[in-house]
Amino acid sequence: MGPNEFDPQRSLQVLHMTVFSQSFSPCGKFLAAGNNYGEIGVFSLSAALGPEATEDSKMPIVTFKAHDGPVYSLLSTDSQLLSAGNGEVRAWNWAELVKKVSVGLGALGEVDNSLLMAGGDNKIHVMDLESGDFKMVLEGHSDYIHCLALRDSAGECLSGSEDGAVRIWDFRTGREVHSIEVFKYQECSRPQYGKYISCLTTDSDWMLCGGGPSLSLWHLRSVTPTTVYPVPGCQREACFHQDLVLSVGDGPFVSHCHLSGDVKARIPCTPPSLYSMRLNYSSQEHRVLSVAGSSQN
Amino acid sequence: MGSVTDDEVIRKRLLIDGDGAGDDRRINVLLKSFIKWCNSGSQEDGYTQYQRMLGTLGQCEFSMGKTLLVYDMNLKEMENYEEIYTEIGQNLTAAHEKIAECKKEILQAKRIRKNRQEYDALAKVIQQHPDRHDTLKQLESLDKELQHLSQIKENVEDKLELRKKQFHVLLSTIQELQQTLENDEKFSDADEHQGNQMETENGH
Repeated sequence: MGPNEFDPQRSLQVLHMTVFSQSFSPCGKFLAAGNNYGEIGVFSLSAALGPEATEDSKMPIVTFKAHDGPVYSLLSTDSQLLSAGNGEVRAWNWAELVKKVSVGLGALGEVDNSLLMAGGDNKIHVMDLESGDFKMVLEGHSDYIHCLALRDSAGECLSGSEDGAVRIWDFRTGREVHSIEVFKYQECSRPQYGKYISCLTTDSDWMLCGGGPSLSLWHLRSVTPTTVYPVPGCQREACFHQDLVLSVGDGPFVSHCHLSGDVKARIPCTPPSLYSMRLNYSSQEHRVLSVAGSSQN
Repeated sequence: MGSVTDDEVIRKRLLIDGDGAGDDRRINVLLKSFIKWCNSGSQEDGYTQYQRMLGTLGQCEFSMGKTLLVYDMNLKEMENYEEIYTEIGQNLTAAHEKIAECKKEILQAKRIRKNRQEYDALAKVIQQHPDRHDTLKQLESLDKELQHLSQIKENVEDKLELRKKQFHVLLSTIQELQQTLENDEKFSDADEHQGNQMETENGH
């Protein structure tokens, strides 16, 4: 079937497509998005955002099938794109080569040349990117891990899981430093949504976490929740940007909140529910915020 | 027929308009009238024609003066516009620089705001805890009470010890007295018995 002919199979696929993860390239000119069919599409930002952009230039320049299951997480290193799907992590050179790396899971993080992988087996595996062997395993969660965040200043990483706890791990000792059970704090907990933590991000001294419990800002030194944000629904991804907190989740909007707790703006978007949000810091001329989620139907 | 009327039209046009328009025509007419005047003979006509020619000449000079002034004015306007153009260009670059500076300032201000909000958030949490001075004072007063109470306890214990010892002394003295009394009785009994025995022995 030619590209211009009507392909009912493909249209049905597009109707039910959900984008779970995104990643900007190290040069900042491309965006890779992974969907629930295991495909990764690479978009060119300069073509799509330029003044002479047409409908065609907003289509992906390359689409390829990366995994058999959904691509839950994408991460860019200096020269490679790592994608994680059901059961494996693959590395692709941004110059389009394919190289299978190893076995894994749902969330990826990178810290000075080692790769952190966490997911279905309740553990975090730390792998050295150069040699490919596993340096250590961080155990302690009792249910699968949804998200990872890195705290470079202290050489620690944080992980949020289905069991409702956020654990802070130290890289040097390989042990857990703290365990915060967010749902036990009255001001954050929302028992009607559950206790899982689906979004986690840190800004050295502060941490944002949300999911079942409401999105809340925590001070890590004293491990106390300082602000709870009145954002409805479960948040899937949040990040710090200048003096704001941005978060996406249930509901077709991106919430911009001040650190003090008031919601400054709610920007509406097309997807009825958003799964992924990324800011392009690596490029000067294409400094964009890209959000992706389920398709409209 | 068409070409003849065309010729007529052309002829008429040339007759009416042959000298050109405005100033050009004035100069041509002047030239023609000068030649006519040179060729004419009579004085009077010549004089009026001469006056007329002077008039036309004056008019020509006047219009020439006007065009020169207009030319100067145009040059000056050009210069003026050039100046304004460069000024605007400079203002543009200055504005660009200001914008860049303002952007930096905004980033700085945002950072400051973020820090302030972080402080506020922490302050809110700290406020919920009781004041440090109060707790210290409470601790001090509790300490004093504790000391006072332990002092009292010591005193009471000492008294108890003393009383115990005194009672012990009393009891032991009583016992000794009892013992001595018993002994005395025994001895006095023994003495009596011996005395009785000696009497019965003596009686035999």
